[in-house]
Amino acid sequence: MPDFQLMRRKLQTAGMTHAIFLSLPVTLFAIFYVYPIISTFNLSLHSWDGFSPTPKYVGLRNYVVLLHQSRFYHAVLNNISWLVFLLLGPTSLGLLLATLLDRGMKGEAVFRVVFFLPFTIPAVAVAAIWRWMYEPTGGLLTTILQSVELGGLAQNWLGDPSIVNFALMGSMLWWTTGFAFLVFFAGLRNIPVEYIEAARIEGATPWQVFWKVSFPLLWPSTIVVLGMAAVDAMRLFDIVWAMTNGGPAYASEVLATQMYDTAFGRFEMGRASAISVYLLVIAGLIIMPYIHQLAKRVQDAEAE
Amino acid sequence: MNTAVARRTALPFSILVAAAVIFAAPLVVALLTSLKSPSEITRVIALPNELYFQNYAVAYDRMGRSFLNSIAITVPSVIFSLLVGAISGYPLAYMRGAGGRAVYFFLLTGMLVPFQIVQIPLFFLIRSIGLYDSIPGMWLVHTAYSVPFCTFFMRNFFASVPRSMYEAALIDGCTPAGYFWRLLLPASGSGLAALAIIQSRAIWNDLLFAITLTTSDKATPVTATIAGFAGSLQVEYGPLMAATLISLLPVMVTYLLFQKAFVRGLLGGAGK
Repeated sequence: MPDFQLMRRKLQTAGMTHAIFLSLPVTLFAIFYVYPIISTFNLSLHSWDGFSPTPKYVGLRNYVVLLHQSRFYHAVLNNISWLVFLLLGPTSLGLLLATLLDRGMKGEAVFRVVFFLPFTIPAVAVAAIWRWMYEPTGGLLTTILQSVELGGLAQNWLGDPSIVNFALMGSMLWWTTGFAFLVFFAGLRNIPVEYIEAARIEGATPWQVFWKVSFPLLWPSTIVVLGMAAVDAMRLFDIVWAMTNGGPAYASEVLATQMYDTAFGRFEMGRASAISVYLLVIAGLIIMPYIHQLAKRVQDAEAE
Repeated sequence: MNTAVARRTALPFSILVAAAVIFAAPLVVALLTSLKSPSEITRVIALPNELYFQNYAVAYDRMGRSFLNSIAITVPSVIFSLLVGAISGYPLAYMRGAGGRAVYFFLLTGMLVPFQIVQIPLFFLIRSIGLYDSIPGMWLVHTAYSVPFCTFFMRNFFASVPRSMYEAALIDGCTPAGYFWRLLLPASGSGLAALAIIQSRAIWNDLLFAITLTTSDKATPVTATIAGFAGSLQVEYGPLMAATLISLLPVMVTYLLFQKAFVRGLLGGAGK
């Protein structure tokens, strides 16, 4: 017969212990997320160069001024193109490679390492390597095009405003596909073999097996990959900053690099804060469905 | 039979080989470039005539110190962030009801926030407490901004440990804190290992906090140094590629060595 009195006392100490444990992360979160976010909102209503003793209150002027700048719209549009690209590009390439590899292919371990390795590299290293790939006269891309007699197609990859974003996306594809690949590869391994076998016995073609059986069962992996892609598209900073610094002529600028330039290059702290508030709002709108999905999963798990 | 199988896998196999060549090419070219003398550098595809290690000497001169800074920043930050993640994930995995869920989602939102929204106040905050351009300052910042992800990861990991173990320990007279330190944490090696690998990559590769919060040799990590190196007007690709390869080696080797732990941890984290 269990001692209920003792058990209840235990649960009370458990509550205390939980609260004490949680106080550390909650404090860190309050100091490093909540306080700076409120402070950024406040700063966005001021004009301040970062040095003068008192910021000047200007109301919503920073927000209004930004809405009249084509430079700002251009960055917003770039963030949206990046969002579309990151949701589709690395996700589908990663899924394709994982699916092709998921059949006891020869050299599986080697392929897995080669596809995943770029993901372990720092963004600045990716930027340095790809600036060399894209070097307009002696870089690898131009050299290869010349060696197959297509030298006329060679471009000033990072110097031409109409091409620079595609060039950046190419390097991003190389960098991040490995993550999507590995998540899908692991997800495919989790699908019970019997499901696939059963479908095959019923006479399904590999194409049907993939779309009717594997792909729906991969949904948890797909959610992870798409969620990360959306967050990355909003946070996107280091690749752009290290490869083009937003250039040429702001052509490759995204909100994060524009904000950095405005704050730490031009010392317009209020204006920069307004940019980051806009970024937060856009990110919130895009990522909210994802939070909702996560919330539902925890509730479902607790209901079981 | 065998030829039928071979025919069926021939196309996928050739696609995979082509993809692997494209994926490996940039790294191979970077390695070759780092071993070429300035006169050979423009011949991108050719092998170097003789191995030219001078590039590595130049790279080491310019970034040796920041490489050490990166180690001094990353190792303690990873340990602290794991510890905080476990401390925060434990109650959240065992608490039932709205309170725990509210704290959990409150912390989770941090995973989705673009860092630009905290960047300016963070700069002034760190400067006002005297930790600007210091290694302990970077420990603090990396630990704090790891809270959401590490909480998420450890909470999911702890939630997969059978609850009966917890209840049995309490009945046997273990306190909830004692259960965490003596039973749960030692039994969580695989989760902690996977998280350590993910965190090493995130912290070693960080650029944003590095360029915002460090400025001199005292604390600048290798990523910020390379960005400066690559941004200079006359880029010398030989030394730059050497520096780049040195900078990516620690994380890449870690992943190669602990691949299995990482995949297992990812499955645990992603499948929940």
